[in-house]
Amino acid sequence: MSEPQLSVRDLTVRFPTTRGVVQALNGVNFDLEKGQMLGIVGESGSGKSVTAKTLMNLLPRTAEIEGDVIFEGRDVRKLAADGTQHFWGVEMTMVFQDPMTSLNPVKKCGEQIAETLRYHLGRTKKEAIEEAVDLLGQVGLPEPAKRVDQYPHELSGGLRQRVVIAMALACQPSLLIADEPTTAVDVTVQRHILNLLDRLREERGMSMILITHDLGVARGRCDDIAVMYAGRIVERSATETLFSDSRHPYTDALLRSIPRIDQPSHTRLEPIPGRPPELINPPVRCAYSPRCRFAQPDCLSAIPDVHGVRGMHEFACFHPANTDRGREALAANVAAGKTAAGLPIAGYAGGGG
Amino acid sequence: MTADAQIPEIDLVALEEAPDDAVKKSLGIGFWISVAWLVLIVVISLLAPVLPLADPEKIGLGSKFQSPGGEGWFGFDSNGRDVFSRVIWGSRVSLTVGFIAVVAGLLIGGPLGMMAGYFRGWVDRVVSFAFLILLSFPALILALLIVNSVETRSLRVVALTLGVLAIAPVGRLARANTIVFAEREFVQAARVVGAKNTRILTRELLPNVLIPMGALALLGVAILIVAEGGLAFLGLSVEEGATWGKMILEGSSPGALKDGPHVAMFPIGIMFLTVLALNYAGDKVREFFDVRETAF
Amino acid sequence: MAGTGHAPLRDDPNVLLAVRDLEVEFPVGRGAVVHAVSGISFDVAEGETLGIVGESGCGKSTVAKSIIRLNEIKAGSVDYQGHDLAKLEGEPLRKVRPDLQMIFQDPISSLNPRRKIRDVISEGLAVWGDEHGTWSQDRIEELMLAVGIDPKFGDRRPHQFSGGQCQRIGIARALALDPKVMICDEPVSALDVSVQAQVLNLLEDMKQRYGLTLLFISHDLSVVKNVSDRIIVMYLGKACEIGDADELYENPRHPYTRALLASIPEPAPTVDPSDGDIDGELPSPINPPKGCRFNTRCQHTTDICFTDEPKMQRVGELDHYFACHHPVEISVGL
Repeated sequence: MSEPQLSVRDLTVRFPTTRGVVQALNGVNFDLEKGQMLGIVGESGSGKSVTAKTLMNLLPRTAEIEGDVIFEGRDVRKLAADGTQHFWGVEMTMVFQDPMTSLNPVKKCGEQIAETLRYHLGRTKKEAIEEAVDLLGQVGLPEPAKRVDQYPHELSGGLRQRVVIAMALACQPSLLIADEPTTAVDVTVQRHILNLLDRLREERGMSMILITHDLGVARGRCDDIAVMYAGRIVERSATETLFSDSRHPYTDALLRSIPRIDQPSHTRLEPIPGRPPELINPPVRCAYSPRCRFAQPDCLSAIPDVHGVRGMHEFACFHPANTDRGREALAANVAAGKTAAGLPIAGYAGGGG
Repeated sequence: MTADAQIPEIDLVALEEAPDDAVKKSLGIGFWISVAWLVLIVVISLLAPVLPLADPEKIGLGSKFQSPGGEGWFGFDSNGRDVFSRVIWGSRVSLTVGFIAVVAGLLIGGPLGMMAGYFRGWVDRVVSFAFLILLSFPALILALLIVNSVETRSLRVVALTLGVLAIAPVGRLARANTIVFAEREFVQAARVVGAKNTRILTRELLPNVLIPMGALALLGVAILIVAEGGLAFLGLSVEEGATWGKMILEGSSPGALKDGPHVAMFPIGIMFLTVLALNYAGDKVREFFDVRETAF
Repeated sequence: MAGTGHAPLRDDPNVLLAVRDLEVEFPVGRGAVVHAVSGISFDVAEGETLGIVGESGCGKSTVAKSIIRLNEIKAGSVDYQGHDLAKLEGEPLRKVRPDLQMIFQDPISSLNPRRKIRDVISEGLAVWGDEHGTWSQDRIEELMLAVGIDPKFGDRRPHQFSGGQCQRIGIARALALDPKVMICDEPVSALDVSVQAQVLNLLEDMKQRYGLTLLFISHDLSVVKNVSDRIIVMYLGKACEIGDADELYENPRHPYTRALLASIPEPAPTVDPSDGDIDGELPSPINPPKGCRFNTRCQHTTDICFTDEPKMQRVGELDHYFACHHPVEISVGL
C-alpha cells in the first residue's frame, strides 16, 4: 500500500477555559488515501469540526495541540508554525456550513473568487475574472457570466454554497474538507450540492473529508466513515460495513434511534438514553459508558484502545456489538436489570445479534 | 412503557454530572475595592451633619490657600474655607444629583423604551421620535434652558435637569434590549400560555433588560457627576453650598492653580476615584450577570 | 400545486380543528408582501397527529403559528370548538389559549434564561390561577417527573440543562395547562441526533397519556412519518398532498412529494431516483408563479399548469388527496 495522502496521528486538542480544560480531541488517528472520500460523523461536541479546523490551521491561538498531521509527506503543523502561505486554500481547502460566513457580503461573487486566484496563483485581474466565470459554470451556476457581478445576498442559499465551492476549487486543491456543507440548505438542494461535490471529486481526483451529523448523508457518498464521540474516533470502517455490521455500541444505538422512512408510522424508536458527555476533565473511562447498554466494569476503569483490523474496521470498545463478547455483556446486563454504570435496561433487543 | 420509563432516571444520572455549580463566577477584588470606596463616600456624605467637621461655608478658618496639614487635612481655599469639609458637603450635592438624575432617567426612560421595544408600531414611532428629539437637542442648551427658566437653581432643579438628559440614552438602551428579547421564543411561549402584556413585560422582559440597564445606571451616575461639574463651569450648578463641580471651578482659576493647587486637586481626585469606581463596578456587574445561554 | 379546494376537509364529528382557506402575508417594505400561506384547508381530528412537512419557506411554521395567533391572519378561518380563532381578539382569544399549546424549535431560546425552570413550567398555572389546574408544588413536580426532569433541579436555570432537557422543560410548560392541542414546531431539529428519539418518544407518550391532538411541523420526512397519522406536504404557501401517513409515502402522487422523497440522503424505496431531478431554485414567495406554484421546477408541466391552479382531488376512496394536473400514475394497488 502506498503512503496515504493524509495521515493524522494521536491528534489531541485542548482548550483552556475559565471552567476548566476542554478536551476537544483525545488522540484521533486516521489515514486518507488519495481520491478517497471519508465521512466524519458525530454530534455536537464530538470533535468532528475541531478535527477539520486543526487540519485547516483555524483553531484559536489558545488551543493546545499535540500529535502529527502529515499531508503528502509534509508536516502540516510545522507548515503552520512556519507561517507558510499558499498551502491552505491551495492544496488543502475547506467549505463551511454557512456560506454567508465565508463570503464577504459587500463584494461581488466573481471578485471574491478572483481575489483567491490573484493572491495564491498570481493571476492578473482580467485572467482571474475569466477563470471565476469558468469556475462558476463548473459548479453549475446558471448564467455564470452574470453571476460574477452579483453580490452574495442576491443569490439563494444553494447558489451561495456553489459559489463557496467554486472558491474552494479555484486553486485546484488535492484535499477538500466539507464541514456540514448541506446542513443549512433544503433536501432538494442538498441532493444537488452532494452530487456536485461527488462529480468534482471524480473529475479532479480530489480527496474529500465530509463532516456531517447525518449518517444518511455520509452513507450515500463516502467510501469510509469514521464515527466520533467525545473527541475520539470510536469506529471506522468501509461505509457499508458500518451500516450492516457495526461494532461500537454508540454506532449501533445511533442507527437504531433514527426514524427510518421505510418504517411504518408510529414505529417505536429506541432512543439513546442520557446526553453527550462533558468534555471538561473527563474521567478515565469509556466516554460512552454511562449511556451504553453493554457497559461492563472494565468500561468504567479504562479508555478502550482501538480494536479490529487496522485500516479496515477499527473500533474502540471492550464489548463490541454484534460479537460474542458484546452479546455476553448485554445478556449479563439484561439479567442484572442494569449496566455496570447503573443504567437500567430491560427488553433491549438491539446489537446483541 | 419499558424504554420510556427508564428515561427519567437516566437523565437524572446525567444531570448530576453537570459541573455548572462547581464553577462560581467571581466579581474580583477590584469590584469590592470599588464598592468599598463608594460605600465610604456615601456613608461619609450621609453622616456629614453629625461628623465633627468645620463649617464648610465659614470664611477665614485658615489663611488663603493654606496647604494641607494638621489644621485642615485638605488645606484651605482662597477664602480660607476648609477644603476637607467642603469636599464632604459637596459630595452630598454631587452624589444626590447623579443618583436622582439616573433614577429619573431609569423610571421614565426605562418603561418608555421597553414599551416601544415590545409593542413596536405607533408606540415605538412616537417614543423613538421623542427620544430622538431629546438626543438631537444639544444637551448643554437644554440644560441652560431648563436651569435658566427657574427662579432658584435648587438641588432638585439641577438633578431633574440632568435627569431629563438621561431619559433618552437609558430609554434607547431599554428599547434595544427589549427588541432583542421580545423576538425570542420564550416571549411567544408566554403569550401562548395566556400571559398578558404587562406580565410579559414585567416577568419575562424586565429581568433580562434590567441588568444592562443597571450597569448603565452606575455608568450614568459617573457621567452625571461629571456633568454637574460641567454645569458648574457655566455657573449653572446648585446656587447654595459647595459642590465638587463648583469647587473644581473655583480651584482652577489661574491664581488658585498657582498658589493653591490643592484646592482643585482634592475634589478632582475624589471625583476621579468615585467615577472610576462607578465605571468599574458597572462593568463588573454586567459581566457577572451575563448569563451563559447554554452550559454545553 | 395548488392546494385550493375543500376536498380534504372531512365531515366527521371528531374533527377538533378545521382550517379553511387560511391566508397569511407579511409585508416586506415598499408595498411588497411575502405570500407565506395562500389558501390552505385541512382539519385535525381529536387524538390525531397531523404532520406538516415541506422545505424552508413553504409556510409550514406560519400555518402553525397562525393557528395559535402568533401571526396576523389575512383571510380564512380556524374553527376550534365553535370559535373562529382567526377572528378572536383580546380577552376572548386569551381565554382559549390554554387549550392550544406550543413546543418551539429552539429549546434554549424558548426558555427565559433568567427564570428558574420551576417558574417557567408553572407560568401558565400562575397566569390562570385556578382556572386551568391548580398551582401547587405537587403539580409542578408531577409535570417535571412526567417529562423526565428530577424535581430537585427545579431551582436551576435553563443554561444548566442540555438542549434535550430544555426541550423537555418546554414540553412540561405546555402540558401544565392541560391543553387539547399541542403544536410542535420542529421540536427536534435543534437537538443532537442521539437525543432526538428521546424527545419524539416522549411526545408520543404524552400524547397517549394526556389525550393530546398533535400538529407536528418538520422538514424531516422520516421524522414526520414516524410521528404522524396524517401528513400535509406543503410547497410555497400551498398544500400539494394530504393523506394518511403510510399511504402518502407508499403512493405519492404529487411530483413535489416524489421529489422530496427522492432527494433525501437515503431515498424512499417507493420513488424513482429521477423524481429528485428538479431544479434547485425556489421561486420568490413575493411573486409566486401563476397557475400551479410548482410549475417552475416540475418535470411534468404542460400549458394548463401555467394558467390554472389545480384543485385538491381525492384518490379513490382513500384518505389521500393531491393537487396536481398531472399526478404520477400509480399502477400497483389501484
